[in-house]
Amino acid sequence: MKCAALAAVPLVLSGCTGPLSTLSPSGPIAQDIAWLWWALLAGAALLALMVFVLVALGFGRPREVAEGRWVFGMGVWFSLAVLTLTLAGALWIGERMLPHGPALEVHAHARQWSWSFTHPGTTGRTETEGVLHIPAGRPVDVLLTSSDVIHSFWVPQLGGKMDAIPGRQNRLRIEAARPGTYEGLCAEFCGLEHASMRFEVIAHDPAAWPPLLTMEGSRP
Amino acid sequence: MSPPDVTAIPANPPRRALPLHRELDRVWRNGPGLWGQVTSVSHTTLGLRFMATAFVFFGIGGLLAMLIRAQLATPQSAFLDTALYNQIFTMHGSIMMFLFAIPMLEGLAMYLLPKMLGTRDLAFPRLSALGYWCYLLGGTILIAALLAGVAPADGWFMYTPLSGKTYSPGINADVWLLGVTFVEISALAAAIELMVSILRLRAPGMKLTQMPLFAWYILGTAAMMLAGFPPLILGSVLLEMERAFGWPFFDPERGGDPLLWQHLFWLFGHPEVYIIFLPAAGVLSTVIPVLCRTTIVGYGAIVAAILGMVFLSFGLWVHHMFTVGIPHLALAFFSAASMLVAVPTAVQIFAWIGTMWRGRPELKLPMLYILGFFFTFVMGGLTGVMLAVVPFNWQAHDTAFVTAHLHYVLIGGFVFPMLAGVTWWMPLMSGRRRIKGLGEAAFWLILIGFHGTFFLMHLTGLMGMPRRIPTYADNPEWMWLNLSSSFFGFVMTIGFALFTIDLILQAGFGKRSVRDPWQAPSLDWAMALPPPNYNFASLPGVELQKEGAGGAMLKLARGEGLLPGAPRGRREILVTSVGTARLEHVALLPFNTALPLVLALAICAFVLLMLAGFYALAPVALIPVTGLIWAWARRAVASVDAAPVEVAPGLLLPVHPEGGTTLTQSGLRCLLFADGTFFASLLFGLAFLSLVSPGPPLPAWGADQKVLLSALAGLSLLVTGGLGARWALGRVESGRPAGAALFGWVIVNLVALVALAALAAGLPDPTRHAGDAVRAALVAYVGLHITIAVLFSAFALDLARRGELAHGRAGALRNGWLWQGYTLAAAALATAALWAQEAAL
Amino acid sequence: MRQVGGMVWLGWLIAGPTAWAGAFSVAYGLHGLGCELGWPALDVGPLSLQRMAIALPSLAAILLCLVLLSRVKATLGPEAGLPRLGLWIGLIATLYTMAPVLVATSC
Ligand code: HEM
Ligand SMILES: [Cu+2]
Ligand SMILES: [Cu+2]
Repeated sequence: MKCAALAAVPLVLSGCTGPLSTLSPSGPIAQDIAWLWWALLAGAALLALMVFVLVALGFGRPREVAEGRWVFGMGVWFSLAVLTLTLAGALWIGERMLPHGPALEVHAHARQWSWSFTHPGTTGRTETEGVLHIPAGRPVDVLLTSSDVIHSFWVPQLGGKMDAIPGRQNRLRIEAARPGTYEGLCAEFCGLEHASMRFEVIAHDPAAWPPLLTMEGSRP
Repeated sequence: MSPPDVTAIPANPPRRALPLHRELDRVWRNGPGLWGQVTSVSHTTLGLRFMATAFVFFGIGGLLAMLIRAQLATPQSAFLDTALYNQIFTMHGSIMMFLFAIPMLEGLAMYLLPKMLGTRDLAFPRLSALGYWCYLLGGTILIAALLAGVAPADGWFMYTPLSGKTYSPGINADVWLLGVTFVEISALAAAIELMVSILRLRAPGMKLTQMPLFAWYILGTAAMMLAGFPPLILGSVLLEMERAFGWPFFDPERGGDPLLWQHLFWLFGHPEVYIIFLPAAGVLSTVIPVLCRTTIVGYGAIVAAILGMVFLSFGLWVHHMFTVGIPHLALAFFSAASMLVAVPTAVQIFAWIGTMWRGRPELKLPMLYILGFFFTFVMGGLTGVMLAVVPFNWQAHDTAFVTAHLHYVLIGGFVFPMLAGVTWWMPLMSGRRRIKGLGEAAFWLILIGFHGTFFLMHLTGLMGMPRRIPTYADNPEWMWLNLSSSFFGFVMTIGFALFTIDLILQAGFGKRSVRDPWQAPSLDWAMALPPPNYNFASLPGVELQKEGAGGAMLKLARGEGLLPGAPRGRREILVTSVGTARLEHVALLPFNTALPLVLALAICAFVLLMLAGFYALAPVALIPVTGLIWAWARRAVASVDAAPVEVAPGLLLPVHPEGGTTLTQSGLRCLLFADGTFFASLLFGLAFLSLVSPGPPLPAWGADQKVLLSALAGLSLLVTGGLGARWALGRVESGRPAGAALFGWVIVNLVALVALAALAAGLPDPTRHAGDAVRAALVAYVGLHITIAVLFSAFALDLARRGELAHGRAGALRNGWLWQGYTLAAAALATAALWAQEAAL
Repeated sequence: MRQVGGMVWLGWLIAGPTAWAGAFSVAYGLHGLGCELGWPALDVGPLSLQRMAIALPSLAAILLCLVLLSRVKATLGPEAGLPRLGLWIGLIATLYTMAPVLVATSC
């Protein structure tokens, strides 16, 4: 089983990309989280290995054990140290991901079972269905609202996810490093057509921003 | 009479074991035939039945899991349509959590605890039976809904507004809310009686600090259930009120807040995971040392770890809500708590490994499952820590990664230890030995199947596959992962099928097992196999506890322990003190009865009427419920007769606690604790809706002088009632008639109810705004408690009329007094809360 | 050995974690309240009113644990072991969960 785990690593790096993969990030925020994941994975693999080896050694002949060393040394202090390290890293990256500082604001409005977006266009603020336009290379704050049930906005390659909750407005920061088309979906179960509540994010070259929106309301 | 020294109790003279067995068996056994099963209140029978029923539900849940996996095997399967798929995954999750895991651990604890603690049954045998019937009937409602195609379909955590009337118009969601709440009666019942049994029924001299670790684990579990289930029950009640009567607790347009549901649900939902894990860890702490032929490493540290888990796990519910838009500081707060709760888990893991180092582990079948546990649970725990890291959570939340994580924890941390436990205690439960080979094959199939299914799902999730979707036509890159998960899912199923066959073969055709086949020291093995309903022919004192199962077995069977036989034809057990288990008194347990079943049926009628939408008729069904509870209490009183009992040569114990605490009082305190968390959750709801929730502001109430007056009148009436009860108690204890005082108490409580009704009549329409609704809910809560206080006082009056209240036999009156005090406190707090709500406007 | 009742002993056992639970709930409640009322903007000495409000209950819990730790042996005698561990749990848990409060962005 461990071998399978190790074998999975290169597999992931090569073949396991895809338009929704968190492992092929396309922006600084998603990139941070991806690094975080690899670090967590490495740490977790080490710890798991350590425990499995200790269990296996338990099958040797009986030994004197120092109770305090096992339950307090390993159980409390060792685990507390590892956890504190993890927590500190989490807080640090978390603070970096927060919407601090100026960013372009766009609106995403969810309903069963589609998304509409409002963002700058050549003719002022423009609403589109199912496609969000953003500039590349710039942080963007998505303001999330919903008119019926809870949905969740997620573009795995550009950042984390955030719920769209009726009666509230949430803010999520995303960023695309390069121009391109990225896929997004509704991550929170929202009823019958939950699976098909997809959308697209088109990141434009900053030079061509704001975009000329011709096919309004359509999904390419 | 000063309490006898438990270390110096003389032994009873040995008798012939067989006549002693006959004498006890006549008194304790179940009635013959099917009716005997229906009326049984024995913890052995009910524990086994709980486990067997849970296993059947596990089968049903597993079947649904196979349907899910079949659907997901290919990207665009037309096997299940979406509506049905949604029902299926919702029912899979709900069945596994509410109808398998919780009842399974209740059953195991019920079955084992009296045996481990050296007593003959649990504190409230009729309550065990009531819990079972509620569980069975509630579970049947859920399964019937699935067969009828109207099963809940909003996911096992039933998020609002999706589960509200607008977006789930059918009865599907009502089935979940009412059915699960009905089943939770059994969880509360089990929690109360396990807690009281552990604290009060331990064999004399078995100190709290020396009892078997399993009992510590169950004590922690029971405490968590008492604190954890009330928020869920409250949430379900509120949501059902919204669906049935339009009280807008969760409706953002009228000042409600969907996040309140999430808080209430996860306030239960996270502790639930530990409620499930603790008993499983208890099994491990019991089995590992024996299979390693040594003692556990770090008994004290493990107890402290349990203590830490019980508390800390209530401080991390928000980690299920990291993506709802919560301030970073709160995220940090809950992230830290989530990290911290891993420490007690680590303490236990290292204690178990240390135990293996100290001893010589034997690779018997239960040990295989224990290794499966280590392998699986450690990975699940580590992915849990990852998910507590907020930035990572924002990517992994609601994806297949979470599905993988939760199954690593639930199957690794609960199912594997339970399989270890079942194989461990099967000789006890069936009296037979296992047939070699089959069990090992089942283990390997389950292990390989499990990891094959779920290991890959981590990756599927990281590649972006959300949970709860039936098709993924646009994402062919997920196909191979899903297909292999599905394939291994079927391998695992074959493993479980083999396991089941193995159990059936063992129970039906195994060779007779010797007594104590594992040479375990604990008292659960110091009895015949399979155990008779009375467990021990005589109860172990300090000396016999020291001798361990092997040494004590014969002496106990020959009546050398305490309270041998059943010479008075009654079901007698010993009640001891909480800390050091000093002898307190002898308690008489009830005989077999169909009352629990009838009561459960009456409650079921209420649930069904609510489900059918007959809201006007439903309260009528509460009349038989009340009547049956009254009869229940009357029977407990009527069985009392006051002559002291000789439990050992020259050692007489009273049948009443002489002013001490009865078992019923202990039980009532536990109930009030749960009630208190329910009330605290309601106050939390009030504060949340008034402070945090966005949306339209609460319109003014216009509370006037009249409202204030009726509130004050109600409160002072409750105080007066309490004083009346106290006065009556004083008179009863000193042997004077108390009829007039009791009559006054009843009347005063009735008038208090009228005052409350007057106040309620002046409330604004609860459908207007969530603030109005929660206010009305608070008033209704107080009203319910005053109504019950009326019943308590009337019951005491009835007893006095029959001359059954006397010095040392005033338990019912004390209980009523306790209830009155709680009601008063709740009413006062509710008044203060409403005043604060009004003042904040 | 001073004899105390089982319920009293259990009370000592859960005192530490209960102190943590109290501090945790109060701090969480005050945090929500403070965000509503704009406390993070108000400064009280070196800290904002918000952080003060959140830190104070924790300080109280820590003090309580310390005081009880100094008394536990005298009160419970040979049965003091487990309650002492419980108090340590309360102490460490409070310190640990409150630490991020001092650094993270508040609302
Ligand atoms: C017998 C082997 C099992 C298999 C193959 C299995 C499979 C699955 C799958 C594929 C899902 C995901 C549904 C989706 O994403 O749409 C799921 C969800 C779930 N499973 Fe299992 N499961 C098994 C056993 C268990 C057990 C033993 C438990 C608990 C004790 C459990 C608890 C849950 C829960 C709570 C959910 C979430 C349901 C929801 O999203 O509402 N499962 N299971
Ligand atoms: Cu959606
Ligand atoms: Cu949790």
